[in-house]
Amino acid sequence: MTTILIVEDNEMNRDMLSRRLARRGYEVVIAVDGETGIEAARTSAPDLILMDMSLPVMDGWEATRRMKADETLRGIPVIALTAHAMARDRDKALEAGCDDYDTKPIELPRLLAKIETLLAAGGAS
Amino acid sequence: MSEQSEAAVLPATPVVAELQNFAQDVFDTVREPLLVLDAALRVRTANRAFYQTFLVSPDETENQLVYELGNGQWDIPDLRTLLEDIVPMSSVFNDFQLEHDFPGIGRRVMLLNARKVRPGSHAELLVLAMEDVTERRRAEGEVAKAKEAAEAANRTKSLFLANMSHELRTPLNAIVGYSEMLQEEAAERGLPDFNADLQKISTAGKHLLGLINDILDLSKIEAGKMELRLESFDVASLIAEVASTIEMQVAKNGNTLEIVCGADIGVMRGDLGKVRQGLFNLVSNAAKFTHDGQVRVEAERQAMDGGDWIVFRVSDTGIGLSATQVVRLFQPFTQADASTTRKFGGTGLGLALTRRFCQMMSGDVTVHSVPGEGSVFTIKLPATLSEPAAEPPELVDDGRRMPVAAFIPPAPGDMAMPAPHTCVLVIDDDPLQRDLMQRHLRKEGYTVRTADGGVEGLRLAGQLLPAAITLDVMMPDMDGWSVLAALKSDLALREVPVIMLTMVDDPVRGFTLGASDYATKPVDRRRLSQILKKYTCIDPPCPVLVVDDDPSARSLTRSMLEREGWAVSEAGNGLEALESMERERPRLIFLDLMMPEMDGFAFAAEVGRHPEWRSIPIVVLTAQDITSEDRSRLNGHVETILRKHGDSEESMLAHVRDLLAGSHAARVPEHVENSAP
Repeated sequence: MTTILIVEDNEMNRDMLSRRLARRGYEVVIAVDGETGIEAARTSAPDLILMDMSLPVMDGWEATRRMKADETLRGIPVIALTAHAMARDRDKALEAGCDDYDTKPIELPRLLAKIETLLAAGGAS
Repeated sequence: MSEQSEAAVLPATPVVAELQNFAQDVFDTVREPLLVLDAALRVRTANRAFYQTFLVSPDETENQLVYELGNGQWDIPDLRTLLEDIVPMSSVFNDFQLEHDFPGIGRRVMLLNARKVRPGSHAELLVLAMEDVTERRRAEGEVAKAKEAAEAANRTKSLFLANMSHELRTPLNAIVGYSEMLQEEAAERGLPDFNADLQKISTAGKHLLGLINDILDLSKIEAGKMELRLESFDVASLIAEVASTIEMQVAKNGNTLEIVCGADIGVMRGDLGKVRQGLFNLVSNAAKFTHDGQVRVEAERQAMDGGDWIVFRVSDTGIGLSATQVVRLFQPFTQADASTTRKFGGTGLGLALTRRFCQMMSGDVTVHSVPGEGSVFTIKLPATLSEPAAEPPELVDDGRRMPVAAFIPPAPGDMAMPAPHTCVLVIDDDPLQRDLMQRHLRKEGYTVRTADGGVEGLRLAGQLLPAAITLDVMMPDMDGWSVLAALKSDLALREVPVIMLTMVDDPVRGFTLGASDYATKPVDRRRLSQILKKYTCIDPPCPVLVVDDDPSARSLTRSMLEREGWAVSEAGNGLEALESMERERPRLIFLDLMMPEMDGFAFAAEVGRHPEWRSIPIVVLTAQDITSEDRSRLNGHVETILRKHGDSEESMLAHVRDLLAGSHAARVPEHVENSAP
């Protein structure tokens, strides 16, 4: 079973995304801020992380930077999700180490394509 | 009073008296208050402006100690400092600011100028001029305050817009998302009745989102923060795409859509997103304001003002516009008239945005309309928009200047047919290296164009469509990897062979990585087949070598290649790859850069050293969107490797020769056989 970790502070977004992914057969784990996100990544070893960028406690950029600096976590692909449709935010996310990027509101087919591409690239194992 | 009378006495001859009167008249004419003091700081005389400004009479003033004037009003510490400490040190003093609250006349700000004069043989006098700047200072203060307030308001506005967009998008997120979820669920549970209504909710949500984006775009343009992303794209496919998106909307009002676009219109270079959005706005307006009529979209290439232009024309048979409406049409937040908003909806931002976008791309949008008969909107854009470079193109080779819009449209079906086949573009920030390369290449019979940085290089590449590009890895404005990525993502340029170069120890230059192509990982199927199309295998299955340390990435690439009919060998690092090549010479190499044992750079350098391997095209695989950190790591890497394996100009020239020879004379089988060890 493929596990996806969703790190998102907005309850509705979390609920929607997790239900829609679950319906497509993914196991979903959730976290509500950057810090618990890192913890969840450690304990549940997801195959992929969907990371909101504007998070409380520790933002998504910082959380991603920390995970990418961590030997055990850096292999997990991270897709940045943010509401800011600006090139700068995209670059900032990629600089922090995110493997891909998507803009909210989520367009599920587009996000799914990105998820599947990343899983196919790294997760043949 | 003896000293005072001594100083005051002047022989009263008629001439002197006349001069004194004349001096006093001049004095009184000056609008600044003036005081003449003697060495003991007693007032010798003052002018009319002084008496009027400070509401004192000559009797109260003359012969008084300056500090005692107006019952001690003038005993000002700052004035004491000026007169007792500063003035004695110099003969002239300018712009000493004195601020004082005079009981009779209120607060005054004055700029004092002092000058020592010695009339004839008499004792030294001090002329003190007082410029009243009270009003000016007050006005300056107000201007500064107003400016600060305006800036604060503007910051607040930007912040407000940013926050608003976030705050608006979040609930929209929920509206669009949940309505789509419910649609999915309704479909699953077999409840088709709900579908239409749910569809309306999600469509309305998406519409609202579009409006928010328009407002944001406009505020970004106004803040000067809107940037252009230039790329080359096929005009006919753009028109087709816009038409298919808008078809439904056009049909809704009973209109027919007609497209007139020659297949030979070719490629244009501009900001695809903005051209699309502008075109979409025009067609969508035409559809909105026309009922049971026709909407017609035309595109053509026109030569004007010494350049090529792409002209889009959107005409309709709708309600049309009056002359007054036309005037206001492109202003933000105004529609043809207020009732339009009620009747047709919309923010009135679409046309304003379209005009701003066109102007950003050195073009414009215009309208011609007859009320009741319809409107024709025309977008004119340069066929090849160059990067907003600060300087005009500087082409070093023969002093001739290419016209800016010298875009040579590629023949259909052959996207990147290089214009003059022997033109090589050299991109390097070092003038010495550029000169050197130019001389070497010219001796070989190539025409050479040079660019001193990545931005300029990309601009020239777009203009010239060179047969090959040599690219320096380390450049200050934009490093070679970014330039390579930009070149390879450009439809018109991706087929141009690129030779990456980098510096070993000046002045010896090392050349490495004859990257013929470039793909980002994970490899996209479409991109891969595009690459493979260039290296057609004449006698399948042809051998291809995949060099990557990641087994899963390797097997992914393998399966894609096998599906295309290639015989795949794999290697986990550069050393293994070299061994594999000894056994069988591949027709094509896919190369990951970061690998243990021997990485991609060292491997590419090694391949370049073997004359019989040099012409094998190498497709470099790199992680998707290399970060700047990765890039600097890669660059550092290249440098170290090159210290070990510095190559010569000769090897670089051989690279160019082989690449160009290879790209014309198709890779013939004997080529493969010859070089098999």
